Amino acid sequence: MTNAAAGTGRPLATGRRGAGGYGPMLGVLVLLAGWELAGQLLTEAFVLAAPSEVALYLVRDWQLMSRALGVTLGNAAAGFVIGNVAAVALAGVALLWPRSERVITGLALLVFCLPLVATGPILRVFFGPGPGPQIALAALAVYYTTLIPLLVGLRAAPDSWFDLVRSYGRGPMSALVHVRAMAALPYLFTGLQIAAPAAFLGAMVGEFTGAERGMGVLTVRAIRALDVEMTWGLATVATAVAILAYVGIGALARRVLLEAPPVILAAPAVATGRRLGGWIDTGLVILLALGGWAGAIWAFGLNPFFAKGPGDVLDALVFAPDAAATRATIGAALAESAVYLIPGYIAGLLAGAALAILLILVPAVASTAMPLAIALRSVPIVTTAPLIVLLLGRGAVGTIFLVAVMVFFPSFVACLQGLRQAPGQVMAVFDSYAAGPLARLVRVRIPAMLPAFFAAARMAVPASVLALTVAEWLATGSGIGSLMALSASLSDYDMLWSSVVLVSALSALGYVLVGAVERRVLAIYAPEQLA
Amino acid sequence: MAHDVTPPPEVVCTSLAKTFAGGTEAVRPIDLTFAAGRTTALVGPSGCGKSTLLRMVAGLENPSAGRIEIGGAPPRATLRRAGLSVAFQDPSLLPWRSVRGNIELALTLARRKAGASEIDQLIDLVGLDGFAETRPAELSGGMRQRAAIARALATRPGLLLLDEPFGAVDELTRRQLAQDLPRIWEARGTTTILVTHSVSEAVLLSDRVIVLSPRPAEIVADIPVDLPRPRPEDAARTEAAGALIDRVFAELSKGMAASNPPLAAQ
Repeated sequence: MTNAAAGTGRPLATGRRGAGGYGPMLGVLVLLAGWELAGQLLTEAFVLAAPSEVALYLVRDWQLMSRALGVTLGNAAAGFVIGNVAAVALAGVALLWPRSERVITGLALLVFCLPLVATGPILRVFFGPGPGPQIALAALAVYYTTLIPLLVGLRAAPDSWFDLVRSYGRGPMSALVHVRAMAALPYLFTGLQIAAPAAFLGAMVGEFTGAERGMGVLTVRAIRALDVEMTWGLATVATAVAILAYVGIGALARRVLLEAPPVILAAPAVATGRRLGGWIDTGLVILLALGGWAGAIWAFGLNPFFAKGPGDVLDALVFAPDAAATRATIGAALAESAVYLIPGYIAGLLAGAALAILLILVPAVASTAMPLAIALRSVPIVTTAPLIVLLLGRGAVGTIFLVAVMVFFPSFVACLQGLRQAPGQVMAVFDSYAAGPLARLVRVRIPAMLPAFFAAARMAVPASVLALTVAEWLATGSGIGSLMALSASLSDYDMLWSSVVLVSALSALGYVLVGAVERRVLAIYAPEQLA
Repeated sequence: MAHDVTPPPEVVCTSLAKTFAGGTEAVRPIDLTFAAGRTTALVGPSGCGKSTLLRMVAGLENPSAGRIEIGGAPPRATLRRAGLSVAFQDPSLLPWRSVRGNIELALTLARRKAGASEIDQLIDLVGLDGFAETRPAELSGGMRQRAAIARALATRPGLLLLDEPFGAVDELTRRQLAQDLPRIWEARGTTTILVTHSVSEAVLLSDRVIVLSPRPAEIVADIPVDLPRPRPEDAARTEAAGALIDRVFAELSKGMAASNPPLAAQ
């Protein structure tokens, strides 16, 4: 779920050569030089390894690293395939039976909002030893980021194309083959491009939960041993894999597609004009989620000591003698997390928008900054979280910064593309009045950017929760992420499952609330997206 | 020729009406017969319901009342036999297919075959020679519309529905197409229904002009066009054509005045 801001972006925006073609290289060089300098200056602090030290480490331990990388890549690839096949199948069901779409996306959102920190240990108990949790988490990390753009893409054709098919007496199947499938391809690629690094992240989190081999295992080992070179070496390899996957799928898309898709603004699934229908669907989603949860425990005959059903969680939170204490513990942990989450989330969004606006006003910087931003949005949070906390400390600054970073890149990329999507004809009108860049920015570009900004804000809600819980789990030792990790290791499954339910529900609620604001914005600035 | 022309059907609309879900009445009950193998033009002010009428005939819009029979069968049966083609106001070309690819798609959808040379002839006919392998994004608006006309003709339909097909075409090409297209549909004996804003185009291309009132559409006048065929480029300047054009204008104006009385009269 790395930067699941999904929804943004041309998959093809990297690697353009030409007049500004050396911008990306310059950006990478500047980054490396800054990193090297900082690494050399902070040698005594044991928080940062310079690129030269990382390179030496990787050369020295390449066998260990390549073995681990092979294992994680295998798990990530299996999860990537399973998750994407599931996404395509779910999109197919939603297409064939439109009534089911909101229920499907609602359930998918709930599963997407499950905190990996907690689902990892639960899946480990469920699957036992072996690659099960790694593959399952990789699959869970990708299906949503593919499903949402794909659903948008399958509907991204004008009505007149379907009229054409119908005018020759052909039905939905011909429309699917000749129109929808092709129209959805750019969107599918956008989803896959975000999914590839996310699968790698999912596999690594799965490996944290007691796997024997893999990058995740090495990461835990490096953090515990405070091995700075190894930690930075792993982060570098993981980042390189994520960027290569992103760029590789982008290159494939360039070969297959005619042009990049527009910014994908999957209008929020919940709350449409049919208010009653919306409530019924929401109720159905909750019922199906609870039924599926209880049904899975029953069907797999899971041990009740570890597998807690909806009734158990209700009991733990409401009826049990220690329910008040459980609620107080979780409430305190959530409050502790919220203190970091909300400022980090808002700061990340605003910083992303601000930088995008700056780049529009000073376009020369864009050719350097844009490829870097696209690359960095692919960096697996699992490896960067401990490093950022290591650098900035366990206090508020480090955690807020981490959440902000997670939100910043998707917001930045979405806003930059939104700003660039200002309608050419309207800009021409402003040109004809010799309007300055500021007037054009305020009156045309920023309004044109708002839909992209809110799409990024919505998708960033679960992503920011993921960033926070991972940071709390691996580094800060406070908040709900730490509570879940602690509960898992102490086998306090009532506490663990209750925390999972509350975090998922709050995360989904946040997503829906931002979606409600987004719908109001779209109604004014992009009404066609709500049609 | 690689395949036969579908026999031209007669199109009969009986008490045909359309009111949209929101309550907007687009077409008042209309009784109208489009003769087999003839060209009928529908003219009327913008938004009067011409296109809605055409879409109902095409089976793309369900009537609220009344019925349509194409060759004695409902529109959907004609669609299934692929005996009908529509050239839409929006060219609706698939962007990932070339001009030729878009034409071939129509043949695939209609389950018909045509040789490469026949497709080339159609591409030449609409003035797109040299652009067969070009994708729509690289064509001008007028060129896209011409490609859409070629696509509509490719399946050799018995019934050809043209919804303002020359809207974005430049004047010179428009004149050329006005010469070439009637020759094709006359040779094939196609039943053609043409929706247009242009009164002179309606008179020059058709055998009959139906004038519709502002929305909701009602038939204001049914004017036969008895100009001899073929009609040369300067036919519009003849006295007979001029009189017909004046008459259509007059009927249009009457229709407009009836639904929008001048401000002074209100």
